Amino acid sequence: MSTLTEAPPLAPVPEKKPPRKRGRLVPYWLLLPGILWLVVFFALPMVYQASTSVQTGSLEEGYKVTWHFATYWDALSEYWPQFLRSLLYAGAATILCLVLGYPLAYLIAFRAGRWRNLIMILVIAPFFTSFLIRTLAWKTILADSGPVVGALNTLHVLDVTSWLGWTSGDRVLATPLAVVCGLTYNFLPFMILPLYTSLERIDVRLHEAAGDLYARPITTFRRVTFPLSMPGVVSGTLLTFIPAAGDYVNADLLGSTDTRMVGNVIQTQFLRILDYPTAAALSFILMAAILAMVTVYIRKSGTEDLV
Amino acid sequence: MTTVTNKTDNTGDVRLSGISKTYDNGFTAVQPLDLTVPQGSFFALLGASGCGKTTTLRMIAGLEEPSSGTVFLGDQEVTSLPPYKRPVNTVFQSYALFPHLDIFENVAFGLRRRGIKSVKKQVEDMLELVQLGEQARKKPHQLSGGQQQRVAVARALINTPKVLLLDEPLGALDLKLRRQMQLELKRIQTEVGITFIHVTHDQEEAMTMADTVAVMNAGRVEQLGSPADLYENPNTTFVANFLGTSNLIEAEVDTKSGDEIVLKAGGGKLVLPEARCSAPTTTGGKVLVGVRPEKISLTHADEAGEIPEGRNRITGKIADSSFIGVSTQYVIDSPVCPEFEVYAQNIDRDARLVPGADVVLHWNPAHTFGLDAAQDIDAGIQEEAAV
Amino acid sequence: MAFVNWLKRHFVVIAGLLTLGYLLLPNVVVTVFSFNKPKGRFNYEWQQFSTDAWKDPCGVADLCGSLSISLQIAFWATIGATVLGTMIAFALVRYRFRARGSVNSLIFLPMAMPEVVMAASLLTLFLNMGAQLGFWTILIAHIMFCLSFVVTAVKARVMSMDPRLEEAARDLYAGPLQTFVRVTLPIAAPGIAAGALLAFALSFDDFIITNFNAGSTVTFPMFVWGSAQRGTPVQINVIGTAMFLVAVLFVLSSMVIGNRRNKQKA
Repeated sequence: MSTLTEAPPLAPVPEKKPPRKRGRLVPYWLLLPGILWLVVFFALPMVYQASTSVQTGSLEEGYKVTWHFATYWDALSEYWPQFLRSLLYAGAATILCLVLGYPLAYLIAFRAGRWRNLIMILVIAPFFTSFLIRTLAWKTILADSGPVVGALNTLHVLDVTSWLGWTSGDRVLATPLAVVCGLTYNFLPFMILPLYTSLERIDVRLHEAAGDLYARPITTFRRVTFPLSMPGVVSGTLLTFIPAAGDYVNADLLGSTDTRMVGNVIQTQFLRILDYPTAAALSFILMAAILAMVTVYIRKSGTEDLV
Repeated sequence: MTTVTNKTDNTGDVRLSGISKTYDNGFTAVQPLDLTVPQGSFFALLGASGCGKTTTLRMIAGLEEPSSGTVFLGDQEVTSLPPYKRPVNTVFQSYALFPHLDIFENVAFGLRRRGIKSVKKQVEDMLELVQLGEQARKKPHQLSGGQQQRVAVARALINTPKVLLLDEPLGALDLKLRRQMQLELKRIQTEVGITFIHVTHDQEEAMTMADTVAVMNAGRVEQLGSPADLYENPNTTFVANFLGTSNLIEAEVDTKSGDEIVLKAGGGKLVLPEARCSAPTTTGGKVLVGVRPEKISLTHADEAGEIPEGRNRITGKIADSSFIGVSTQYVIDSPVCPEFEVYAQNIDRDARLVPGADVVLHWNPAHTFGLDAAQDIDAGIQEEAAV
Repeated sequence: MAFVNWLKRHFVVIAGLLTLGYLLLPNVVVTVFSFNKPKGRFNYEWQQFSTDAWKDPCGVADLCGSLSISLQIAFWATIGATVLGTMIAFALVRYRFRARGSVNSLIFLPMAMPEVVMAASLLTLFLNMGAQLGFWTILIAHIMFCLSFVVTAVKARVMSMDPRLEEAARDLYAGPLQTFVRVTLPIAAPGIAAGALLAFALSFDDFIITNFNAGSTVTFPMFVWGSAQRGTPVQINVIGTAMFLVAVLFVLSSMVIGNRRNKQKA
């Protein structure tokens, strides 16, 4: 007899039965430990941080809550370039990730055939080499005397990027370009995986149907494939933008003092200068800015069932 | 309600008394229902999706708690027993075979849960019964739909339940396989003698397999009886339309003579045996007259004189005809009914019976049935189409 | 013209493979430079081929110690986050309860929060409580940020599970506990395993949150970070390469075994 590769489609799921009385507490017991963990070690720290941000004092004499909101103003007026830079770099890296990641996700979903699993593994496996080691490798790749910089120089690409302010002189390292390149590299898998997940769900016959209805390949992509992959695009851009905006590793390892991002400032204030109120205020502003942007973005793109 | 002749052993009887199911959101899936399914019978609950038949089955299985009423198995009340304590097993819709266990372990599951250690012999015998001895070590997804279906039956039957519940067991199979499995299930039921309660939306399936069919609609049993009884003598328009096709004509009661009622319909007269009328018949009252399409003979208007006396007759014009092979189906445009259906056996085909031809439809009055005219004349028609 | 057509037809493949190259290039460099014999303290420029570092991967002070600390933290963080996360996922999918929306947001927020914000706020908590920074504070932090990812992975699996399977188990004489152990858990296992694997990878590779809350404890990423300032030993590349190879081999072999098993049975 023939063997089916797939089980027959499931019939509609029967209606959920209301929970029985004796089981009413079960969900709360299941939730309790994990939720408690998140409340104590995620939510509560946010409260502490908010309170720290309005304290004044010094490390020696101790800090007190004095509702000193001026810290926010001072922090912003001093560090707005780093804020702006964070958003710009993260935005650029996100767009680059989308542009670079989409073809690869598409390739895995529709064109890879029996290579699909292997490519998937190659996308994920670098995770297991510490990302710091891999980021350091970019120092070698983009080294001043290396082949990449040499080639860019010969092609006069660096003249253009220098003119744009992305690089300086005939160097790539320690410039914005290097930082964005590192951010893009580091967060690319976070773009590819959600894109792949939503592309993979698309029925290939939709492409054929669009072709049958006189859509050229490019139109098929624009009118059918891309709209259907929107959930992946939205969660991919979020998963790239959010960590990139808070990152300070790339700016530190591949950049210079001119490419410092807000993450660098928070880290320095907190761990070196020990100015806790300023650091807390900066961190709070970053959080608020990102939450606001994420909320607007999710509303606009109409995919609120990401969670 | 109707009870099929009782046998001496009644431990496999299922008695539902006054059970109903209303969900938290206020939707009533099953209206208070009384039903007795005798030991050893093959009983079908037939209806469109959402009619409450699956909910009824799930209440018998213990997967759903009734809002009111009691469930008896034999003499034991099981209303509040959890499913794993009931001597009842289910063949689930789309089978619900455990994907992580092989066929052998799927079939052995129930025995093992009841603490039986040596299951090998029983499982092997059971797999032989359903002709899957070779497949014991395969996983469910490696089997075809028909094979999976047989595993689901074996997995339930090996526990020798008092009652076997089947929830749309053939729904996922293609037509040909479905026919084959209908006979197969019927054979197994006769062999093991266990009470089968079968839920289906397919009227043909219900009629082929079951001794007794209960037609459900909107949470109620519309009519219960043997397949032939339901077909020949429907009591409601829903049953008349849902089981096969019926031509329904609005008519007015003219006179009653003996056990026959004479009705007026569109200028002509029709005769209806009183015993086959489920509606009240006062002179001048309305009645729906029904007749099945295959009971009707079709004669060209030119030969109307040759039709024997005593038959009900209606005139009309052929609107459409389609050749099916064993028969030809005609749609007749008649003053009393705009889309009268007639199925004619292809024995002697009359070449003049083409669209546009004037014809006389006639049938034996004994095949006429009468229904209450207060009902929706189209009830049950849509449901059958929407599977 | 033929070439242009060929390019057009294979545009996606070419662009995708270029991206894949971009993703893998650093790993190639890491591997190649694990055979380098650098002059001076930094391993950024190719000098000459050598297998010294491979022969003595623990030859640098504190390197293997930090690796062991990272593995221990990742192990316990994985167990903690997987247990807690699986429980939450089941509660979310299987039960209706009040505050469902708040619970969902609390799960989502850590994933939508820059690491540096979580790191800084957690540090303020620990400072305020006067907690001793070290192994335990790192572990607490790692369980916290891995939790949401486990919930998401397990939830997806449990949601796609046919509820009829559990009904079938109950119908076949399995009580609630047996149903869970014999049917629910095995079927949810791939989701739980995926969540656990993700938690392990996230915890092992975490730097930002660890950096804030580690005190004087040095994990492997922190060792690498420190070496980027002081001088990068070749052994770092050896360990990076070895981890990459182990991961690829592990996945490949499990796939091959899976395939063979299916073929044998089919």
